[in-house]
Amino acid sequence: MKSKLSYYFIPQEKNNYRAQILKTGFLLFLVGFYLINQEIIKFVGVVKPGVLGYSSEITAQKVLTQTNLQRQNNGLPALKYSSVLSKSATDKANDMFAHNYWAHTSPTGTTPWDFFKEAGYQYTVAGENLARDFYDTESLMEGWMNSPTHKANIVNSKYQEIGIGVVNGTLGGIKTTLVVQHFGLPVTSIASQQETPKQLQPETVSLQNSRILSEEKSNYINPLTINKTVGAIIFVLVIGVLFIDGYFTLKGGINRLTGSNISHIGFLLIIFLFMLYQRQGAIF
Amino acid sequence: MIIPKEIKQKPLEYLLLALVFLVGLVIYFFIPISSHGQRLVVYFMAASYFLWSIIHHYRRGDLNLSIVVEYLVMALVGIILLSVSLF
Repeated sequence: MKSKLSYYFIPQEKNNYRAQILKTGFLLFLVGFYLINQEIIKFVGVVKPGVLGYSSEITAQKVLTQTNLQRQNNGLPALKYSSVLSKSATDKANDMFAHNYWAHTSPTGTTPWDFFKEAGYQYTVAGENLARDFYDTESLMEGWMNSPTHKANIVNSKYQEIGIGVVNGTLGGIKTTLVVQHFGLPVTSIASQQETPKQLQPETVSLQNSRILSEEKSNYINPLTINKTVGAIIFVLVIGVLFIDGYFTLKGGINRLTGSNISHIGFLLIIFLFMLYQRQGAIF
Repeated sequence: MIIPKEIKQKPLEYLLLALVFLVGLVIYFFIPISSHGQRLVVYFMAASYFLWSIIHHYRRGDLNLSIVVEYLVMALVGIILLSVSLF
């Protein structure tokens, strides 16, 4: 057992003076194992929908507040809440869950503008931002603001109104929260049914959503946590063996024709840091 | 502090690599960029690391196919582990 372990971790004659874990074949095996893990997660999502999921504390009210805060920081007037736009945004989110897609245009060709029309919103300029899998509103807003195209919608001086849809459901077998922002400049001011944020119906709706989600929180597993855990194990294993291999090579004065362990460790440590820092959530 | 022999032999080359990593770290963590931008930073770092290895081993006179493959696989490990799960 001990000699088998040392074969994988310590450079010696049996492994041609290179820890077996660091050999190309073993590294490719680890990559393959990781990719299979990905496929298993996807498979579980399809076979047992709802087992995996992302919890969220996002509400429409918080998204509205954060959006207007960003506009204020950019010297723009706050957007007025529109219940009509919120209906179109919520319909869009529900449509993505119902038809299992994640895009501005549905597989059947329905565009965001179709939802605006169906809700009865007549506009001269309009826009849509999408987000999924985020835990909190701050991270969601950071994601949008870091993307030039999404930021362009949030700080667009032409828009006067906004509607927000925050809907929980199962997408691709994974429970998640979809956030849809619909922006618009109405054709006439009468056409828009403006309300102040404090009078919002969606505040109640979103609070209900949050409650449902927190009740379900313990019932499903976050796929990102699984990915990060498996990824971290592989990183720690490879980086650790690089250290061990380097130590024994130095100690034993071994001369061999391989790459530099120091550069490998540096590169992998930085990528590992990126992985640890990465937060959940995707925008479109 | 113990400085490994290979760094002592080619300090400038390792300094250059450290600089590339530092630039990548600063862009990734301190400059507001989209996830697409973050992906580009990772690709840039992996490509720089690979290119560095070719130059480094060529100058050392021990560049061969197995070393090229080794760096290529390490870059692949980094890219796949990060990009498949997170982007």
